[in-house]
Amino acid sequence: MTAVILIAGAVILLLVSWRFDRERTKESLRLAKAQFLGIAVQIGAILALVGLVLAIIPEGYIRSLLGGPSVALSTLFGAAIGTVTILPAFVAFPLAASLIERGAHVVSVAAFITTLTMVGFATLPIEIRYFGKRFALLRNGASFLAALLIALGMVTLL
Amino acid sequence: MKELLGKNRLMVFTLLAYALVFALAPPLFWDALENTWMYVREMLEILPAVFVLTGLITVWVPPRVIIDNFGGSSGLRGKLISVLIGSVSAGPIYAAFPFTHSLLHKGASLANVVIMISAWAVVKLPMLIVESRFLGIHFTAVRFLFTVPAILAIGAMVGARTSREGVMAVGPVDESPVDTHGYLREVLTGVNCGACGYASCSEFARALHRGDADIDECNLADEETKEKVRHMLRIG
Repeated sequence: MTAVILIAGAVILLLVSWRFDRERTKESLRLAKAQFLGIAVQIGAILALVGLVLAIIPEGYIRSLLGGPSVALSTLFGAAIGTVTILPAFVAFPLAASLIERGAHVVSVAAFITTLTMVGFATLPIEIRYFGKRFALLRNGASFLAALLIALGMVTLL
Repeated sequence: MKELLGKNRLMVFTLLAYALVFALAPPLFWDALENTWMYVREMLEILPAVFVLTGLITVWVPPRVIIDNFGGSSGLRGKLISVLIGSVSAGPIYAAFPFTHSLLHKGASLANVVIMISAWAVVKLPMLIVESRFLGIHFTAVRFLFTVPAILAIGAMVGARTSREGVMAVGPVDESPVDTHGYLREVLTGVNCGACGYASCSEFARALHRGDADIDECNLADEETKEKVRHMLRIG
């Protein structure tokens, strides 16, 4: 649904731009194409690698890590697993719900979702390419800690 | 050749891993392909549109607008706009990098770039609806309540600990190892459009410095940028 809105928005703006200035519009399309081709292979490789890793690790194993006897340890695992995986949101939330249903701790799942979306170990090479190592490591490190704090905060309110 | 391999190193590695799994455990291979197809479909839905928008911003939005709204002195308003832009966006986090990268090079502050990336990742409004459907409104609301301040804090922290120059020096803006004329390169748009006849903005910056090129050959620089470049060439 968001994708539809995004694509529609891009098309509409493109048409508006075309009405005002064809040359600039062509220029922008050329930039878009060059950027896309420049990064597509790398992103494709990362996606394929994550797809492979997730196929090899069974879901039951993840569940047992997130629902272990120690909540604190499970939360750390949750944050760690979220860090190394990427999942589209429409897959992540049903998965999270099923994890809780089958015994994972709510807090661990919260940490999992937060790092899943905000921290990207898999996408780190892409981030480094655009912003450099220092920026990428700092941002991901800070986000990881924040995810743990958010999970911790949620314990008090849930 | 080496460069070509370097860029595709990850892809080569991935293909080898797939070949190995195919040989050892064929069912896993098909599972993996199915996963990957799901990701690739998402990427193809989102990424072209994001790049089109990025391209449009590059050619249409003057740096002034970005600096005023997202620059170092944009204050709380700039931070809130950054959260908002991130939250109405679509797609996985890696789609945020090229987009925010172009804003950075137009004058957005590092803190706001980080805020936008983080908000893009975790506070997406449509995603909140999905989240509350599966995990309950209470879970979602509490997580949201903690996440927004956390994002602002992360932005401030990363912004304070990285330098603009350092971050701008990397990236697809310039992949050449020689960085002699950082300033010139920095004020150019950094999109390497090639319209000036040089392969990259960095090449063009070098030619400018040597006196071989004129800033008017750049299609993307606005008057303000051109003035900056002329000034730099006069004093440098």
